Amino acid sequence: MCGIAGYFTKSTDVAAPVGEVMMEMLTALECRGPDSAGVALYNTSSTNDSILQIKLSDDKPTRAVLDGVIANISQLSKPTAITTTGVYLRLAIDGSLDPATVISVIESVDSRVEVVSMGKRLEIIKQTGSPKRIDVDFHVSDFQGSHAIGHTRMSTESQVDLSHSQPFWAHSLDEIAIVHNGHITNYHKLRRQYEQQNIHFYTENDSEIIAVYVARGMSNGLSLEEVLEAALVDLDGSFSCLVSTASAMGFVKDPFAHKPLLFSETDEFVAVATEEIAFRPLIENDLNIREAGAREIRVWQN
Amino acid sequence: MAKLNCNGQTIREINSSIRKCISVGESVAVESPGARHNLGVALLGSGEVTFQGSVGYYCGGLMDGATIRIRGNAGWGLAESMLDGQVIVEGNAGNSAGAAIRGGTLVVQGDSGARTGVSMKNGLIIVTGSCGYMSGFMGQGGKMIICGDAAEALGDSMYETVCFVGGKIADLGNDAIVVDITNEDRAFLDASLRKHLPNTMLKNLPNGDNFKKVVSGKKLWNFDKSDWKTWEQAL
Repeated sequence: MCGIAGYFTKSTDVAAPVGEVMMEMLTALECRGPDSAGVALYNTSSTNDSILQIKLSDDKPTRAVLDGVIANISQLSKPTAITTTGVYLRLAIDGSLDPATVISVIESVDSRVEVVSMGKRLEIIKQTGSPKRIDVDFHVSDFQGSHAIGHTRMSTESQVDLSHSQPFWAHSLDEIAIVHNGHITNYHKLRRQYEQQNIHFYTENDSEIIAVYVARGMSNGLSLEEVLEAALVDLDGSFSCLVSTASAMGFVKDPFAHKPLLFSETDEFVAVATEEIAFRPLIENDLNIREAGAREIRVWQN
Repeated sequence: MAKLNCNGQTIREINSSIRKCISVGESVAVESPGARHNLGVALLGSGEVTFQGSVGYYCGGLMDGATIRIRGNAGWGLAESMLDGQVIVEGNAGNSAGAAIRGGTLVVQGDSGARTGVSMKNGLIIVTGSCGYMSGFMGQGGKMIICGDAAEALGDSMYETVCFVGGKIADLGNDAIVVDITNEDRAFLDASLRKHLPNTMLKNLPNGDNFKKVVSGKKLWNFDKSDWKTWEQAL
């Protein structure tokens, strides 16, 4: 049992208070997942910089690791807007750099260092504990942008720490992030196949494979909708899964409709969440909220 | 009519207040239900409860005799194992609406999710919109009237539940078959819809002549080694 939520505005001209809406939705879903909480936020800026969110350590980061990461990244591009919050280091670098190169340079500093997200629009913030805590620590409610997805986690199979929390970034150029409620039962089989192709896995969390799967599909030229169609064939188990890119958000529900997922669409926005309680902050809009069906796929694109 | 506001109250407190009203036959309007779970479960008595908004999971579960009206949507497991009474949702219902009911009537005035009426034993379910995947699964008795479309695997592995569908059937479940509708069925459909739905809604719905009737083909009722193919597919 987890809680997932998504909020997508249909206009990118004006930045909307997506952080605030997402925090309210996640707070309502906290009872479904008290272990950890996280958000993937997409801004509307058109700068050429990429924002990096880097996990320095699992507990208290050391000065040496922080300095090491900054020194290494400086070899590629001079980092700006450097801030640290808890175990996170956030900075901006030249947006033309390839994620694979950036990741390998940064993560070579220490085995616990992980690039949690990288993108011109995307920023992922996640940690153990309640949704309220990520708001207190990272001021998520102040974030203005075009869309966001979020997750509250109740771990059933893998450990509870920052890296195993969701959303998962797909480590690709498309700024893909996913949140997932359910179990992928052919995870080990798929993971073996991917590892033979030298794809690195950061966690033992089955949901991570969905991010890898979507990124592979899209880098092979499939549209988001086509990837989600293919996922119905290739992924086994129960899944209500939300996927976002720099300009789109979509969901897929497994063929047996094992897991809940409700959605509502207006002319201005789309809201998706595990339970109706999460739509309360939007309730003044008199929404028509509907449970997604088995095999149902929806994609919204700006 | 008594009034009750859910804000600041636990589910146990809300349900205790509702039960007090119902036990003496008093009607109660419940404000700000906030899509919370387990509202109005195990109500014994004949009063009427109106939720002025959406409810969460298992609303009206295990109830016997009351009437529940929901002016909003309902989450999963609506009216689960209801013994008798009426549950009316003015919006949509989530998965497993009317699961395992033994009696009473559930009316969904919108769409209902997957496994609507799963394992129902008796009673009546009316959905004015469409129903989701595998509705009627393992239904043992009672009737289900779907005015709109039915999603895949309708009526899979049923015993004696009868499903009527006014719209399209995406595909039938294992051992579900379409049979001819009888005059008696037509009269039942017209009477049921008239009894349980407002007049304003009736004119947009199919009448008794336009429904398809889905029942069990009874091939899975008893194991037959010579019919292994049927079993292989069903299992």
